Amino acid sequence: MNPTYVRIELARQSRDIGNLMFTVGLPAVMYLLFGNMFGGGSAQAGSGNVKFYIMVSMAAYGAAVATTGIAGTAAAENMLGWGRQIALTPMKPSGFIQSKVAVALTIAAAAAGVVFIVGAATGAQADSWSVWVLSYAIAVAGSAVFALYGMGVGMSFKSETAINVAGGVLVFFAFFGNVFLPLSGTMLEIARFTPMYGFVGLARWPLLEGAVATPGATADSFWWLVANLVGWALIFMALALWAMRRTRSRQ
Amino acid sequence: METTIQQQQARGGPDQAEPALAMEAVRKTFRTAQGPLEAVAGIDLRVGAGEIVAFLGPNGAGKTTSIDMMLGLAVPTSGRVSVFGKDPREAVAAGEVSAVLQTGGLLRDLTVRETVTAIAALHGAKDRVDAVMERTDISGLAKRKVSKCSGGEQQRLKFALALLPDPRLLVLDEPTAGMDVSARHAFWDTMRADALEGRTVLFATHYLEEAQDFAERTVLIGAGKVLADGPTAKLREMTGGRVVSATLPEGRPVAAAVAELELLERVASVRLSGRRVHVTGPDSDAAARLLLGPLGATDLEIAAPTLDAAFMELTGAAS
Ligand SMILES: Nc1ncnc2c1ncn2[C@@H]1O[C@H](COP(=O)(O)OP(=O)(O)O)[C@@H](O)[C@H]1O
Ligand SMILES: [Mg+2]
Repeated sequence: MNPTYVRIELARQSRDIGNLMFTVGLPAVMYLLFGNMFGGGSAQAGSGNVKFYIMVSMAAYGAAVATTGIAGTAAAENMLGWGRQIALTPMKPSGFIQSKVAVALTIAAAAAGVVFIVGAATGAQADSWSVWVLSYAIAVAGSAVFALYGMGVGMSFKSETAINVAGGVLVFFAFFGNVFLPLSGTMLEIARFTPMYGFVGLARWPLLEGAVATPGATADSFWWLVANLVGWALIFMALALWAMRRTRSRQ
Repeated sequence: METTIQQQQARGGPDQAEPALAMEAVRKTFRTAQGPLEAVAGIDLRVGAGEIVAFLGPNGAGKTTSIDMMLGLAVPTSGRVSVFGKDPREAVAAGEVSAVLQTGGLLRDLTVRETVTAIAALHGAKDRVDAVMERTDISGLAKRKVSKCSGGEQQRLKFALALLPDPRLLVLDEPTAGMDVSARHAFWDTMRADALEGRTVLFATHYLEEAQDFAERTVLIGAGKVLADGPTAKLREMTGGRVVSATLPEGRPVAAAVAELELLERVASVRLSGRRVHVTGPDSDAAARLLLGPLGATDLEIAAPTLDAAFMELTGAAS
């Protein structure tokens, strides 16, 4: 990873004001909608309240949307031949991916940060500061997996629309990953294998320690959630590296 | 015995000197919907350090595909490519070879200076940014968005990026394509000033004039093969000389006339369309004399072939 390269890339991303507002602002708006949709937002949930639960969920989702979108710009860059230009420097494909992930994480940190600030201001509560800090850190760090996802999908399908598709599929992952509404029965059993399940489960760990919001559902073990996240990280990493190598040749 | 060998090595005679670029029996086949397409069909090429070589050929000749393999951007289907004795990717990583690529390669929403700085950082050559921008005459554009730069300015920017690692071998793929005449001259003036620093330069072009003005050696490439390779001064001969055309008289067998023309020395080809005959070869005088004299032909014309025509001739596409 190269700090100067990351700095210039960040400056470039932040010039796209419209996109940035959307990426950073939307998860907070979603939190406000979801958080007030159900009564009893201040009811107890684990070591905090229901609003905190929804806040963490939306922050995690928002962070994943940000990393998918930002990393997906790598696909558009490659279509412009930037990947070939980079291939004429000593930076390796893995270095390019790391730099992209660093930029994506910075913006994800902003998106999740806005949700947490809005949450704190509107009644999300937890028993201790450590629950706030750990939840935030996990939501941001874990979203790196979706940077690999965005890059891999964007570059595999050589078109500008690929990244929109990746964003759309993310909504699907979120729904089946138990991010939005608590799933139950067979749906929940399937959900345990989908890409966002481990991620959001870990982000909620400081609050719930594996407990599932659905009444009567069995709790998740910490290692199952880690295995889910790491497994999908490896799959998306392989996809991104494969796609990256492929786009070095001409389009 | 031993001393002579040592002396030779010390002098670094032509056999010992490591070529800047070596391609041995290089082939590249693409899989396409219409079946396999051999873009490079067996190229052997050695470029010595310090040479300036033009890679001259029409569109689709396989220039870009060959260049991609020199830069490690594509892997040959078979054969070997080495740059200063190394694998091309290693040579790129060491900053020994660099290139101006034919298509794209720039981010439209970066400024010129950001672009140079980003690539310089990856080469660990941030201290060269100002000098390189000065040299390629883009200092005045530093704050401009790439999307607002003209084609010629973007090309100079790409040239600046190529100079950042201070490469020993510089590869340029049709660097002036799409430029108007004055921009093209300005570009080559910059190049000329730079190349005098003893770099090895290989550039692809489909302008005969560019090869003539800038390269000492020209490699003609067509249909994925090296058609001719030699000093640019001999280019006329390489491209098959001139075309003599004339109308053969009525009432005499054409086939006999064609056979007689083909017997001439150094005639590359004889083509017939109706009664009009076209003779291609370096020795136009002999053909003209035969046509006007014994053969009684009329309406004689002598023309230098266009590059495209010359290539058709050389690749046998016309016959
Ligand atoms: N990625 C590719 N897939 C299929 N065919 C290709 C690809 N790249 C180049 N070609 C074909 O290979 C041939 C040589 O192309 P190229 O090397 O670009 O020629 P030049 O640079 O001399 O114009 C052309 O027929 C071109 O269509
Ligand atoms: Mg080309």
